[in-house]
Amino acid sequence: MAFELGIYHFGELTPDPTTGKMMNPGVHLRHLVEQATVADQVGLDVFGVGEHHRTDFAVSSPAVVLAAMAQATNSIKLSSAVTVLSSDDPVRVFQQFSTVDLLSEGRAEIIAGRGSYTESFPLFGYDLSQYNELFAEKLDLLLKLRDENPINWEGNLRPSLVDGDVTPRPDRQIPVWIAVGGTPASVVRAAKLGLPLSLAIIGGSYQQFEPFVDLYRRAAADFGHDPKNLKVSIASPGFVDTSKQAALDTSYPYFQAGWMQNHHQRGNGVPMPRRAYEAQATTAGAFFLGGPQEIIDKTMAQYELFHHDRIMIQMGFGNVPQKDMLRAIEILGTEVAPVVRKEIESLKASEK
Amino acid sequence: MTTPLKVVAVVGNLQKPSKTRALADLIVDTLGDSEQIDATFIEIVDLLPGLAGTLDRDQVDTATADALAAVENADIVIAASPVFRGSYPGLFKHFFDLVDQYALANTPVILAATGGSDRHALVLDHALRPLFAFFQAWTAPVGIYLSAGDFDGTTILNPEVFERIEMAARDVLPVARMLADRASVPA
Repeated sequence: MAFELGIYHFGELTPDPTTGKMMNPGVHLRHLVEQATVADQVGLDVFGVGEHHRTDFAVSSPAVVLAAMAQATNSIKLSSAVTVLSSDDPVRVFQQFSTVDLLSEGRAEIIAGRGSYTESFPLFGYDLSQYNELFAEKLDLLLKLRDENPINWEGNLRPSLVDGDVTPRPDRQIPVWIAVGGTPASVVRAAKLGLPLSLAIIGGSYQQFEPFVDLYRRAAADFGHDPKNLKVSIASPGFVDTSKQAALDTSYPYFQAGWMQNHHQRGNGVPMPRRAYEAQATTAGAFFLGGPQEIIDKTMAQYELFHHDRIMIQMGFGNVPQKDMLRAIEILGTEVAPVVRKEIESLKASEK
Repeated sequence: MTTPLKVVAVVGNLQKPSKTRALADLIVDTLGDSEQIDATFIEIVDLLPGLAGTLDRDQVDTATADALAAVENADIVIAASPVFRGSYPGLFKHFFDLVDQYALANTPVILAATGGSDRHALVLDHALRPLFAFFQAWTAPVGIYLSAGDFDGTTILNPEVFERIEMAARDVLPVARMLADRASVPA
């Protein structure tokens, strides 16, 4: 498989830091579809939308948004980033994504996670104290749904299925990735099930995550899976522009506003100072933040460490204006992706 | 016009370049974002051997004497130390052994430390805080501890560190400003 580059978005509704104006959720959703369209046109591999259940996010049902994107695009993979499986019904998740898969002629993906926000649990009547159990059981059901129909299934936290007819059936097996933030047990779970791993590195030094990737591959081998068949994706925030300076200047005010809105201590938003944001743009920092050359360099440096298969950039967090977003997507697709793919192909060839 | 706050960072590093110094720099820069400050850095490594060879305040060399005076007259002290054998280095303590016993009473102090792993984080509260309790200093409730994983060389990468320093700064600056202004009013 060729190395993949993608972007993802949560559809956060951060008030514009210069005007204070809140974006309309409908406008934002249509912007996301336009972004996916441009990403498709410039040859990016994947577009993801993540699920949140709060007033300040426009995306609560990724599959619906992905269905709209399916109609507007031709070849880009359409992914959830992530699906909070713990507080959803696997039957419904499967049906929605099989629908997207059929609409898009086999381009749907599920990235499933336990959820780092908790609002969806009370909303759908789930008990947070069963956080891990819920995920384990629902993941089990979701994976069985991919293989069997009609399905017989029994668990503790959801009614049993007796000859359940779960349709429509997709033409292929929909990929299910496991999203991991930094819990070794989650890495081992993905390894045990032989599922691809999406590792979120949302700040700090990415080198620190090397032990997770190593653990994943060693554990997978111990469970009898060939690590060569197991994909690893790295997900981090970032923004691409014509130069590093432009990337920082364009994206920082929006990132800072989004960060303040989402990151609370003592009941208050905590700012990310500009110098902290700049630190993330250094070679060792986690963010894909810079001009084309910085993004290429960082991706290659990460590849040497992780030997991963995909990067997904949470681009323009905090609602960078649409014209800047579309320019960033175009630069990523036309100036970064071709170079990265070629470099990694030649590295792979020399390793053989 | 407001008088700049005298911020003095005592940095216990015994080598250069230093992660502890980088942390002290970041704390000073953050304080400087929202207040006028005059910053002084005292690196213990720079005071050798004038400090190490001296047991008495009267015998210290000029550099050490100036450093001690700076700390004693500071509006804010940043006490930043690496972790050696589970505590601050002996020479860091030796420096403070020569500081006047009551000079730091009520002085706002920000406690900061760097260590090889998170297992040493309590050095702030088990070693540094008691030292400044002795001085009857006004230690900030929020201390700042960094482990090796928070750095790339001396570049601090962990965003949470920046936030924690912001918090410490917001807690300390109003107190320091009030105390400094009160002290500057003629009796």
